[in-house]
Amino acid sequence: MSTAQTETAAPAKNAPAIIASSVDEGHRTKQAPFGETLVSLARTMPEIVGMSADLAKYTDIHIFAAAYPDRFYQMGMSEQLMMTAAGGLAKEGFIPFATTYATFAARRCYDFISQAVAEQNANVKIVGGLPGLTTGYGPSHQSTDDLAIFRAMPNLTVIDPCDAHEIEQLVPALAKHDGPVYTRILRGAVPLILDEYDYQFELGKAKLLRGGRDVLIIGTGFMTMRALDAAKRLAADGVDVAVLHVPTLKPLDEATIIREASRTGRLVVTAENHSCIGGLGDAVASLLFRSGVTPAMRQIALPDAFLKAGSLEVLQHRYGISTDAMVHSIKCWL
Amino acid sequence: MDAPALGDNSQLAEHSYRVRKNAIRMAEVHKQGYIAQALGVADVLTVMYFHAMNVRPEEPDWEERDRFLLSVGHYGIAHYSILTAAGYLPEEELVTYGLDDSRLPMSGMTHYTPGAEMSGGSIGLGLPMAVGMGLGLKRKKSDSFVYTLMGDGELAEGPTWEAAISASHYKLDNIIAVVDFNAIQADGPSREVMRTEPLIEKFEAFGFFAQRVDGNDLDALVKAFDAAREYDEPKPRIIICDTRLGNGVHFLENREKSHFVRLTQEEWDDAYEALDAWKTTRTR
Repeated sequence: MSTAQTETAAPAKNAPAIIASSVDEGHRTKQAPFGETLVSLARTMPEIVGMSADLAKYTDIHIFAAAYPDRFYQMGMSEQLMMTAAGGLAKEGFIPFATTYATFAARRCYDFISQAVAEQNANVKIVGGLPGLTTGYGPSHQSTDDLAIFRAMPNLTVIDPCDAHEIEQLVPALAKHDGPVYTRILRGAVPLILDEYDYQFELGKAKLLRGGRDVLIIGTGFMTMRALDAAKRLAADGVDVAVLHVPTLKPLDEATIIREASRTGRLVVTAENHSCIGGLGDAVASLLFRSGVTPAMRQIALPDAFLKAGSLEVLQHRYGISTDAMVHSIKCWL
Repeated sequence: MDAPALGDNSQLAEHSYRVRKNAIRMAEVHKQGYIAQALGVADVLTVMYFHAMNVRPEEPDWEERDRFLLSVGHYGIAHYSILTAAGYLPEEELVTYGLDDSRLPMSGMTHYTPGAEMSGGSIGLGLPMAVGMGLGLKRKKSDSFVYTLMGDGELAEGPTWEAAISASHYKLDNIIAVVDFNAIQADGPSREVMRTEPLIEKFEAFGFFAQRVDGNDLDALVKAFDAAREYDEPKPRIIICDTRLGNGVHFLENREKSHFVRLTQEEWDDAYEALDAWKTTRTR
């Protein structure tokens, strides 16, 4: 597998490097699906509590905090404390949704989540904002390695949802699941796509969103949204693209991935908003390797590098995860 | 043990002797281990389990119990000693300490042992977890306390202080942190590895009701734990217990390399004798 190379014209370099969701032109959006869904779910689940480490506004849990101030714990800028205290709250029977940026959860808190949450099977839901390359702030905030980091942690369920529709279905599923979970989320105005595909999130399940003879894109996170757009564009060129959405990276829906990758004659392309190391591409490749299924495979992912700061649109294109870059890469590989 | 067994201190001395003897029996299995810490902290744990804490050994998950978080996982040997003395574990299990498939692993973990409420070992988790449990107990309107046993070395861990800030911010008067200050850590004397003094002043500045006692003085410990439980301001509490490593076995006290002790069989035999001799001088 090789990482996509981008040779198409880059967009204009004038977008500001602010924290942003990745909303592509022409997509509908929904505001704060995580926060809104958590608020409505909490009405019937009094054991749900919210936590933040001084990033409530930037993870959408501020909506929960406003609705249930006495069920929200502001832990200040101390993520390690927050994760460990979340383990303590879970021991007392509560379901803490502990929120921060994905990169702080993964890099800063690893040992604390490992020992206070995962090893003890504490019922903590870790929610990380700014997944992958969704900010131009630079490597301090770009969570390009969180999936790799968390996939290595026993007991932990790892999820990268695609859009607002999925986040709305995911939140109750997480609350009902008894065990530790890490999920990335998009915040603010979040693209709304999957409602058009009669999609239903199920923990641990991959779903085929469209069939196709020539290419199978196995996508996770918002790259599934781009895969769907890329598939439409490639159809105009006579390339028939199937899209399999894999929101749960761990446990992986091995049966579905093996089944789809075993269909002969299709190029298999994995697509993720994450480093080429340790995320979806690696998970699929090692699964197929262990299973003796060996289709032609390519990977669309971010490079193994600390990425540049800059405007998001430019960066996403430069590093190969824009829809244009994806279409270009697939055409080159066919 | 619904109500704390308010024995007089001769009873506590007897219990603490059994705790020490349990620890020696466990360490003897491997002829090495964290025996000096177990002997040093035996009095602290005795006062906690036989006087201060509200627990039911026959029902370790009893909802109204006081919680005990062993932050210093390598004190598993000390914890199993007190859990056995208090009736959580049968005495015959002591000799399985650290063996394959034992419920008494070298480092204390929650899934292995009745009465073990957290997996410690990665130092600095105890006080942060106590904050979460303290918040949870408040939510449940529970009167239970959360005790956490820490070592002096882990006072150098950042999250201990993150937790101290938040325990005070949230007025977690249901936390009683206990520090076994034996002044030795893996790389040497604590004051040389990383000086954390002055501790009373630091914890008071962080909003705690802080006390410092001789951790091998049962009278002083009883008074300190009583004061911590009865203190009526909405502050977290901490008791710094100055303990003597190896306390009760004279040739282990002040031994130069006492963080992790290795002894010959002869020395183990001597240890039992030394402990018995020490007991007669202590019990009044």
